[in-house]
Amino acid sequence: MRRSFIPIIVILAVMLPLACQAAADKYKQTTSLYKDDKGGSLKAPEGVACTDKALIVADTANGRLLRFTLGSDGVKGGTEIKVPQLSYPLRLQLAPGGDIYALDGRLHRIVHLTPDGAFAGYLDPQGIPAPGTMSIRSFRVDGSGTIYLLDLFGQRVLVLNQAGAFIRQVPLPGDHGFPSDLAVTPSGDLLLLDGTKGAVLIARNGAESFSPLTAKLQESVSFPTYLTSDDRGGLFLVDQDGGTIATLGPDGSPTGRIATLGWKEGQLYYPGQVAVCGSTIVVADRNNNRVQLFEALK
Amino acid sequence: MTQRLTIAIAFTLALLLLPGGIVRAEDNALKFKLKPGASGKLCLNCHNDMQETVKKPFVHTPLKAGECIGCHSPHASSHGKLLAAETGSICRLCHSSVVPADAKSVHKVVGEGSCMKCHDPHAAANKSNLVKGGNDLCFSCHKEMGDAVAKARFKHPPVAKGCLTCHDPHASTKGGFLLKSDVPGLCLGCHNATKPLFIKQHMNYPVAGSRCTSCHDPHGSDRPSILYNTVHKPVANRMCNQCHEEAGSANPLKTKRTGFELCKGCHNDMVNTAMGKNRIHWPLLAGRGCLACHNPHASRQKALIKGDLLTLCGSCHKDTIQRQEKSVTKHKPIMEGNCIACHDPHGSDNLFLVNNASTIELCGKCHDWQKHSTHPIGDKVKDPRNKNQTLQCLSCHRSHGTDYKHFIPFPTTSDLCVQCHEQFKR
Repeated sequence: MRRSFIPIIVILAVMLPLACQAAADKYKQTTSLYKDDKGGSLKAPEGVACTDKALIVADTANGRLLRFTLGSDGVKGGTEIKVPQLSYPLRLQLAPGGDIYALDGRLHRIVHLTPDGAFAGYLDPQGIPAPGTMSIRSFRVDGSGTIYLLDLFGQRVLVLNQAGAFIRQVPLPGDHGFPSDLAVTPSGDLLLLDGTKGAVLIARNGAESFSPLTAKLQESVSFPTYLTSDDRGGLFLVDQDGGTIATLGPDGSPTGRIATLGWKEGQLYYPGQVAVCGSTIVVADRNNNRVQLFEALK
Repeated sequence: MTQRLTIAIAFTLALLLLPGGIVRAEDNALKFKLKPGASGKLCLNCHNDMQETVKKPFVHTPLKAGECIGCHSPHASSHGKLLAAETGSICRLCHSSVVPADAKSVHKVVGEGSCMKCHDPHAAANKSNLVKGGNDLCFSCHKEMGDAVAKARFKHPPVAKGCLTCHDPHASTKGGFLLKSDVPGLCLGCHNATKPLFIKQHMNYPVAGSRCTSCHDPHGSDRPSILYNTVHKPVANRMCNQCHEEAGSANPLKTKRTGFELCKGCHNDMVNTAMGKNRIHWPLLAGRGCLACHNPHASRQKALIKGDLLTLCGSCHKDTIQRQEKSVTKHKPIMEGNCIACHDPHGSDNLFLVNNASTIELCGKCHDWQKHSTHPIGDKVKDPRNKNQTLQCLSCHRSHGTDYKHFIPFPTTSDLCVQCHEQFKR
């Protein structure tokens, strides 16, 4: 009788770790980008933005952007986009028509480039209620071209139309820690990342205030700095100091993580921005001077 | 009618229980053949030293009543001194109200149940069985505070009178720091804000509702009016209207501008320098601006910093400070709270706001690497793990600590070395 249990116990002992590993390993590193198309090395790239065909990289410490193409034959290109008006690109967004928006770390302004990389102007919001001064920490451009600005000085999220005209604003909650980023879900909900308290807050589509979406995430993340959503509402949270991307369900519950801290391929060292293009996750692996692509395992 | 019935039932129960209790104690004495005084007085036959102890002016009630078994088990115990339970638990049996359920602050030793750090459980020369009298007891733990109070040129009289003038020794339901009442209410108990001198000293600004401790050190200081030792120049010059609206205006306490825009009026160069860097410390641009880290009026710290840097920086960079705390090897500047030894708190062109573009040069300010290692590092030495990296100090170390010795991110040095020297991997 006892002997009959032994094979079952052995099978369970083998299967259990495998099952756990399968749950954790939902993404596989596929590509690392180290160079531009002329062989120049990336230096502290902090931003990435992508569509299913294009990938733009903020090669931050080199003061330029790089354009790659995404296709079934992999990632190609690496053409430099360099304009004097953008000296230190931190975070990037691609508008529906292909226009590029970049937050400049030195100017604290958003630089607008045409799809071919020409300078189109600075984003100068129009009709903003007081205070007139703004300090833009982060921003988003959604699928309709609507622009969202995280304004630290005004302690608010500003919503602008494609031309930069004011639509509405949502005040930051009074008892927050320090807001690091904002995101917009496919259903139009506005998310706010409280970096120091390690929590995500939500303002449902059209709501005029934020309320907590997640409990404090400090058990699972060290220092979250960037947040984005995929087309199904799943969330990707850059844990800068933890060297990982934490994944959360649409309800904010932790579901796993992509990569661990380190220097080797597949590992991350102080990542900057993460972008989601279909099943591809692109990470600006800042302190490893490279960009890494991960693919969701089917 | 119901009330009368309740009283009657309670009275009957009391009558029934009281003799029952006496009977049970007598039963036990008979059943276990206990000698008279077995619950305590008998103990003194062997514990002679206790005979002297009970002669002290203040004796703990159970001991005075000869009830040693109130706290001790006579035969055996899992706790030291044959105590019937952990110290805190025993004390709480009688002193349960010491920490109110709605306490806003609790004395750490009370929370830990270390009652005997302050009280002698048997007897003492001081009221409430305190092991020392007056402020000496408090300053035996709060030594730095004791030194500061002793050295202060300008004293706050209530401090000399006793810490308990303002603080509750166990817990407070009124505010932080065990204060008997929150500030400014506590201060206004002695200081009349309507007196002409008070109003004049505060430049006619209505400060009665303001937080007095944002300017004054309640424990005394080296500056008149017990202002904190570092005072913002406009405050020292009584030029409140440099930042605030005029005292006679509708909103006298309102600042003329908000955030960094207010401070920029005088600290223009500093703000412009920080803003001209590639990377800014984001709180500088946020709603509170400079006040995220600096006190606008006065501070115990240099540069009007709100507190020591470990606490201040750690209020946002908690994970980084905790990494150092947990680290087997400690990094001296962090241990000393000297974050600015490596970081520029306002802005920098470098990652992590470090004040040197070269990690090797930054670390080299304190560490002569050739003395502890001859491993090649520098711009010409490629990192085998990553073709876009060259080897530098942070290729092997994490400056804020790791779970392992020497700030290395692996359990052993061999584990670290084989990351690159894979041919030696076992």
